[in-house]
Amino acid sequence: MFGKGRVSEAASKFSAIAYAVLSVAPCLVGAALYILDIRPVHALPSYARQTGQQCAACHNGFPELTPYGRLFKLNGYTFTGGNYSNWPPLAMMAIPNFTHVAQSQPGGLAPGFGNNNDFAFTGSLFYGGKIFDHVGAFIQGTYDQVPNAIHWDNTDIRYANTGQLSDHELVYGVSLNNNPTVNDVWNSTPAWGYPYVASQLAPTPAASTLVEGLLAQQVLGLNPYIYWNRLVYAEVGGYRTLSPWSLSALGIPPPGTSSIDGLAPSWRLALEPAWGNNTWEVGTFGLAASLVPQRIGGAGSNHVTDVGFDTQYEFLGARDSFSLQARYILEYQDSSASQALGLSSNSFNNLHSLHLKGTYYYKQMIGLNVGYFNIQGSSDPLLYGDVSANNSPNSSGWIFELDYIPFNYGGPAFWPWLNMKLGLQYIRYNKFDGASTNYDGAGTNASANNTLFAFAWFAF
Amino acid sequence: MTEQSSAQGGGRADPLGGMPALALFLTALGLAGCGGAGQGPQAVAVPPDVAGTVHVCSSCHGPGGRSISSTFPRLAGQQKDYLIAQLTAFRDHKRADPHAQTYMWGMAARLSDPTIVALAAYYAAQPPVPGTPDNSPEAAAGREIYTQGIPAANVPACMVCHGGKGEGNSAFPRLAGQHSAYIERQLEAFASNARANEIMHANSKNLTAEQIRDIAAYVRSL
Repeated sequence: MFGKGRVSEAASKFSAIAYAVLSVAPCLVGAALYILDIRPVHALPSYARQTGQQCAACHNGFPELTPYGRLFKLNGYTFTGGNYSNWPPLAMMAIPNFTHVAQSQPGGLAPGFGNNNDFAFTGSLFYGGKIFDHVGAFIQGTYDQVPNAIHWDNTDIRYANTGQLSDHELVYGVSLNNNPTVNDVWNSTPAWGYPYVASQLAPTPAASTLVEGLLAQQVLGLNPYIYWNRLVYAEVGGYRTLSPWSLSALGIPPPGTSSIDGLAPSWRLALEPAWGNNTWEVGTFGLAASLVPQRIGGAGSNHVTDVGFDTQYEFLGARDSFSLQARYILEYQDSSASQALGLSSNSFNNLHSLHLKGTYYYKQMIGLNVGYFNIQGSSDPLLYGDVSANNSPNSSGWIFELDYIPFNYGGPAFWPWLNMKLGLQYIRYNKFDGASTNYDGAGTNASANNTLFAFAWFAF
Repeated sequence: MTEQSSAQGGGRADPLGGMPALALFLTALGLAGCGGAGQGPQAVAVPPDVAGTVHVCSSCHGPGGRSISSTFPRLAGQQKDYLIAQLTAFRDHKRADPHAQTYMWGMAARLSDPTIVALAAYYAAQPPVPGTPDNSPEAAAGREIYTQGIPAANVPACMVCHGGKGEGNSAFPRLAGQHSAYIERQLEAFASNARANEIMHANSKNLTAEQIRDIAAYVRSL
């Protein structure tokens, strides 16, 4: 979830960092001006109206999906039932939030914001629901106060149908989407992974793998899939970059984005046995992309391959619910194009990303989340030298979050589809951009970036 | 030991961790191969006119009404009249226990009377899930209540209405093979009137939590 980079004190320094690091798409400082970090996802009230069901039918807390929520998505968002099925499938979301960073940032947490303790706002409009008998959509447009822009956000339009294979149910379909793994139904993959909402103002580590958000909203992908016997999920697909003109039209500033040369193939395979109130998913996902760094032609392409493994366990009880998610991504970066352009020192780098998270919900009302992340990779002076004194992308830490969700079993009488999450999140860094202490060579410790983030997340 | 460890660690190009992940994946493959989905007798074919609806029902109640999660009752082999009464009650908001509101009010909101009858007939015709043998003291105590009742607490024997084998009868639901957690929740809901039913409220209001658990353990074994 670290698509957003560090907004540092001097714009010129920022540009230099961005120039160096964006070159190999997987490792971004500052990409977040382009790839927005609050990527919430959602207990969409329009889905609740369409199905007549309460948020808790599809969501454990939210936005984590229950087994039924996964089937709703895999069946193309087309299940109906509710008396309000015929209403336009529109929904809105608003997230006023507050950020406190352990150490104030001279010059402001972002342009136009104070040095610390800043309020910000993000809001979205959704089209979410059935379009035709077998076609449905999740389409999000977002306004972000940081950096005061409107842009298209996560989008997943799909066709789905059912049949029989070997005497068992087969759900099959195809998803057209704009962010690798945004079409996935498990919360162990990046697009819908924890943390579900994060500060856009706080500093975040520079490095992130490609599949963890660096292509979000910059690509279009087509992913045919099958889900057999409620047990085996398989998907292959491919992603293509949108043109700079298209990106601009959709509110995503093209500068700094890398383009995929041709088609980037992607895959997903998962197994999910179920017993009693338990489900356990184990799977693999990933993609391989030839990337033209910063769209600068003439030096060929970098070749980036992400191989991910993930698992999710869920127990949903009448009073207590638990879930555990883990993912591990190995990234291989053949950076020959970046090296030729003087954007990276090595012709080959690697990056490993580990994310773990556990959640407990009491009566779908009070939730406690604990997450751990660890990003490790090869050192590269040109790639990381501007942020890291030892040229290293290594970062690790903990993410704690306490949630209160009063309306998962239905909102107030005047608008029963209201959902709300009040959250308090704390990120504690053990290591930040290469070291625990003095990571930037200017005496800054990793703990200086520890972040307290409070938010009120409304969906209606 | 040290030598052996270092020898094994010898080709460590990178602590990529792929092996543990792969091992986990393969374990799950094996587990899935032995695992639970799709077991049980062959289902009776779905009538074409309700096939789409049955597919949605099966999201929670399982193929043929043989659900895995105890959040959702097993419908396979359930009494047709009982299913008609419940679906109608969901649609008309007459059954209002918490899970009914979360899931079924929406699911049933637009069901027509003929569709309700067709769905009920379909699930009634499915082969039920066999009971899970249970030799526990709880199940034995439950059997006592099920067959004899608790006269001192004015609790009649369950079998009078639900049948000696828990098969049910018309508007009295089949209980045999049902998830015990589901049965417990329903008895609690009857007792608290969260699920309004005069007969079952009278029968359940004097039951203790232990007695409810015992009954649920027994009917699951039938």
